[in-house]
Amino acid sequence: MSRARLVLARALPQRATEPSEGGRAGRALRALGKGALTHKGLTIGFVVILLILLAGFFAPLPHDPIQPNPESTLQSPDGEFWFGTDRFGFDVFSRVFASARLDLPIALAGTLLSIAVGIPLGLAASNKSRWSERIMRGLDMFQSFPLLVLAFAIVALTGNTLQNIIFAIALVNVPRFIRLVRSEALVLRESRFIEAATAIGASRTRVMLRHVMPNTMGIVLAQASLAAAHAIIVIAGLSFLGIGITPPDASWGVMIRVGSQNIATGQWWVSFFPGAMVFVTIVAFNMVADGVTRLIGRAED
Amino acid sequence: MRYRTGAIAKRLLFIPVAVFIVITLAFGLVNLTPGDPALVIAGDLASDEHVAEIRAELGTDKPLPQRYAAYVRELFTERSLGTSFFTKRPIWDEITQRFPDTLELVVLGLLGAVLYGSLLGTLSSYFRRRWPDTLSRTSVTITQSIPDFFMGLLLIYVIFYIIGWAPAPVGRIGLLDRPPDRVTGAVILDTLIARDWGLLKTAFHHAMLPVVTLALFYSSHFAKTSRAVLSRALNSDQVEFARACGLSELRVVGYAFREARTPVVTYIGILFAALFGGAAIVETVFAWGGLGQWAIDAMLKLDVPAIQGFILVVGLLTLLVYLLLDLIVVALDPRVSYE
Repeated sequence: MSRARLVLARALPQRATEPSEGGRAGRALRALGKGALTHKGLTIGFVVILLILLAGFFAPLPHDPIQPNPESTLQSPDGEFWFGTDRFGFDVFSRVFASARLDLPIALAGTLLSIAVGIPLGLAASNKSRWSERIMRGLDMFQSFPLLVLAFAIVALTGNTLQNIIFAIALVNVPRFIRLVRSEALVLRESRFIEAATAIGASRTRVMLRHVMPNTMGIVLAQASLAAAHAIIVIAGLSFLGIGITPPDASWGVMIRVGSQNIATGQWWVSFFPGAMVFVTIVAFNMVADGVTRLIGRAED
Repeated sequence: MRYRTGAIAKRLLFIPVAVFIVITLAFGLVNLTPGDPALVIAGDLASDEHVAEIRAELGTDKPLPQRYAAYVRELFTERSLGTSFFTKRPIWDEITQRFPDTLELVVLGLLGAVLYGSLLGTLSSYFRRRWPDTLSRTSVTITQSIPDFFMGLLLIYVIFYIIGWAPAPVGRIGLLDRPPDRVTGAVILDTLIARDWGLLKTAFHHAMLPVVTLALFYSSHFAKTSRAVLSRALNSDQVEFARACGLSELRVVGYAFREARTPVVTYIGILFAALFGGAAIVETVFAWGGLGQWAIDAMLKLDVPAIQGFILVVGLLTLLVYLLLDLIVVALDPRVSYE
């Protein structure tokens, strides 16, 4: 624990001096890589996500994931179809893995977009100005809306293109990053090294960007992992309802939707395997979040 | 006291502004989002005249300020949310007809979530770092990582198909049962009023799986909060004093739990508001026929006025719930005040 903390503490410097070489982001990533080796949960979670992603793109699939075989519909798992087939004759095994091509990149892109919007707004809201008050009031109003339903409505009304789904996911997740970055920045700005930076004449923008922001990265990364897990649920929900990704494209939500019509008659495998995959992915993201939280010494227990 | 009254008055004064913003957002959802709903409704093969017709019916052919003025005027003078694009029925009737069903599901589901979550959290903090703690935290990790709709399907498979304890997921009551006379619109309440005990049993039977689904998925919030608060409370001086006085352990935990009252009530409020729309997926899985399922149908059919009306109503409901929540929290916890 202490060693990992030290590693990250070095990577996310709490000093007013400038880094001598290399970007801070690069060093932070390298330190995380090192820290991951000392944290089982973080490593397992990260590897699982990476494997699912890689398998989605590169694994040789036994059947074409978007070409149904009408002669073999609703077959239970056997030697030929490892996870069975659905009522259209799609191979569940191939589709479960092919789904990672859409679901994971969309979740990650949506999360990245919400971070990209959330960090500047959060930093701006941490300044003592008229704007910070306005941003927070606006956020209060925005969050009093049922965001999940709003996201569903937006995708339904604007059409289910990839950009719209990513936008909807970013919308749902932006508030948590604004709040997180703001509360972190409010604490950080009271610390000595910020005082020192201001004392040597650094401008407010420079203090924000070079001293405050890099120090929020650890906790933002932990939150990002939780946001990605939530994004996976939102995408699956959207596709399950028929609003998001639509067949024949492979997506875990679409597959669960197709299988939901057969589950009450006992054909469990059509929904079960994609659902299990969603579960594994979410648990993996949660493990990464937990690991990062411990790594930066912010775990409560 | 005067200080708090002032804060509450300030909170109340904010309401008209908030209502106005919700109305504007509901309007903007249809009118400011990129893309033309008329084009999506008409489909790819529609002629230009047909698209123009749909635009005229939706009102999106007029300039923006004029549309906004018409929207607000209709809301306030006629108290109308417009009519459904497909059924031609007033949106308000559609919503009030389905609202009681969703309310019943949300109340029962939250009740289950609070009871189950608090129980887990209490066990967890009382037996901290021993096996009940590990067990309860593992189960919380699992239930919060299974999307609610998938959990619903799993329950249908195991409890309906394999064990046979629950009825088929066909809605509030069996397909052949005669619904109770409509008094409140909520099926369980109506069977109670009609004193139809057989039907009440059926209704509870049908409500079992959706309620358990919601309860399991949302219990994690309560389990985590009550564990965090109770762990602190159980180590506090007043608990030590209560123990020294020789009170039973059950009593001591009961006193300590009072500490978790405010966060638990806060979560109840937030989830209550979120679930009016958030239960939509679970409603769809169990063919519950409530507000959420209707809204999802409207979204799939692109019934623009219905979607708009739903967002507006749910937004206003959320505002109301948050207002009540603030008042209740102030009443519960004298340490809380505004600014």
